[in-house]
Amino acid sequence: MSKITALTDKEKEIAQLLKTVIDPEVAVNIVDLGLIYEITLDEENKSIQIVMTLSTRGCPLGDVIMQNVQVVLDANYPDYKNDVELVWEPMWSPEMITEDGKKAIDGL
Amino acid sequence: MQAGLSTQNAPSPSVVLPHFVYGALMFLASAIVMLIAAPQLILPYHLNAHMLTLTHTMVLGFISMIIFGSLYQLIPVVMEVKLHSEILAKITFYLFGVGLLILVVSFWEANFGPQQNWLWFEISGTLILIAVFLFAINTLISAGKTKRKDIGNLFIVTGIVYLTLTVSLAILMIINFAIPFIPVSILDLLKMHLNLGLIGWFLFLVIGVASKLMPMFLIIHKLPEYLLKYAYYLLNLGLIMIVNTFYFYPKTWLIGLSALFIFAGLGLFLYFNYYAFKHRFRKNLDIGMILSKAAFIILAFLLVLSIFAVVSPDFTASFQFRIDIALIMTLVFGFLTALILGQTYKTLPFIIWLQKYQTKVGKEKTPLPQELYSDKLAHWHAKTYLIAFPFLIAGELLGIVWLIQVAAFFFILTALLYNYNVFKIVLHKEKIIKS
Repeated sequence: MSKITALTDKEKEIAQLLKTVIDPEVAVNIVDLGLIYEITLDEENKSIQIVMTLSTRGCPLGDVIMQNVQVVLDANYPDYKNDVELVWEPMWSPEMITEDGKKAIDGL
Repeated sequence: MQAGLSTQNAPSPSVVLPHFVYGALMFLASAIVMLIAAPQLILPYHLNAHMLTLTHTMVLGFISMIIFGSLYQLIPVVMEVKLHSEILAKITFYLFGVGLLILVVSFWEANFGPQQNWLWFEISGTLILIAVFLFAINTLISAGKTKRKDIGNLFIVTGIVYLTLTVSLAILMIINFAIPFIPVSILDLLKMHLNLGLIGWFLFLVIGVASKLMPMFLIIHKLPEYLLKYAYYLLNLGLIMIVNTFYFYPKTWLIGLSALFIFAGLGLFLYFNYYAFKHRFRKNLDIGMILSKAAFIILAFLLVLSIFAVVSPDFTASFQFRIDIALIMTLVFGFLTALILGQTYKTLPFIIWLQKYQTKVGKEKTPLPQELYSDKLAHWHAKTYLIAFPFLIAGELLGIVWLIQVAAFFFILTALLYNYNVFKIVLHKEKIIKS
């Protein structure tokens, strides 16, 4: 289990990949929005686990965002077992947005 | 489906979209009625045929129709439940849509004299009443299944209950016109109907929905929801008191006291929104939220106007009826219209976007929901709307017909541009962007 702030180099590559997934409402990627909590790459068992949240319960685009994460992982890591888990704890807050995310939101 | 993930509960777009199309067309129809009927809109007699045509086209055809469609989408998503019946929702739409058309044509041709034929009123009223009850049954059964009991959901459910009371009272009024049996003046019945509809239905619903959507659209957490709890008790207390006062004990001091509770509840809701806008993380507002912000500023103006209407100081006595009409116009053509125009851009594009691109996300490059309509035209109709509204209120307060005609002209422009965008969104053809 690797927190988003303490990723290995290979997990950082996955984080970069997940930056291609955009929240359609704010048009900012989900990593910079702080929606990704954990990325775990297990080379031995060939598995990737993503633990993420949504900005609010009942987010109308929740399915789409999670599906996008799954599709991106499956396309880029076809030999791995990719799992996306949705959690509500800790609850997301705007403080989790990265500096790049803040700039992107302000620049919209 | 994972816990709390609710998008899959959303109904088929074929349930929701006709409401937006019908509503947009009725907004245009209202603006045209305003232009034609302008001279009748300043008359001291509230119950004139053209005024009733305009208010019902707007309140039922535009505002309620779009709220119905939005709730069919919103209740499943925010309450994490499936809509009880999509077929029932479609039947409701046709009954309501046909009933409303008959009703507004009946109002337009009415003279309310002894020779008045009430048959078409009774037919249309019955159709609308059945539709509203079906809507209430459908949404309340859906909402009843939710495990998420919060203040927003409570406001929405209470609003739906008040809607059924509003329409039931309207039917009683129509029957009472034909066969008088209620021992209360028609004006007091009308006031009860207005209070139940405008405060009980619209305001409760707007507060419930706002409490859900504000955090999402403005990016803000930890909103002071306790304010809404107090508002809920105050508004219910004030509304139940004022309605009963009109019926049983129409004394000025009791009406004033009831109004005080309502004003306090409204004030808390306004402060809640002020807090949300002030502490929002997302500083740049898109067109949807610009119009919504305008709606809340208009709501503050409405509160001031309401105080004048209730207190009725000596210097306003000579034009009190104008304040009353301006008050209703501010709520209908001001607060509710601005909010719906804005929130259309926060809901409709997403419904279509999900329909067209849900299965393609991540696999192909798709447009964003915001790219499904013309942002430029939306900004233009925000401008024409913000010209139209002050002209309308000035026209009503000063009793000047040409001001209302200017307002109607700008409302027609607003409605045309709004309709263009609504149809552009609804008729959007799937488009994959080549990278």
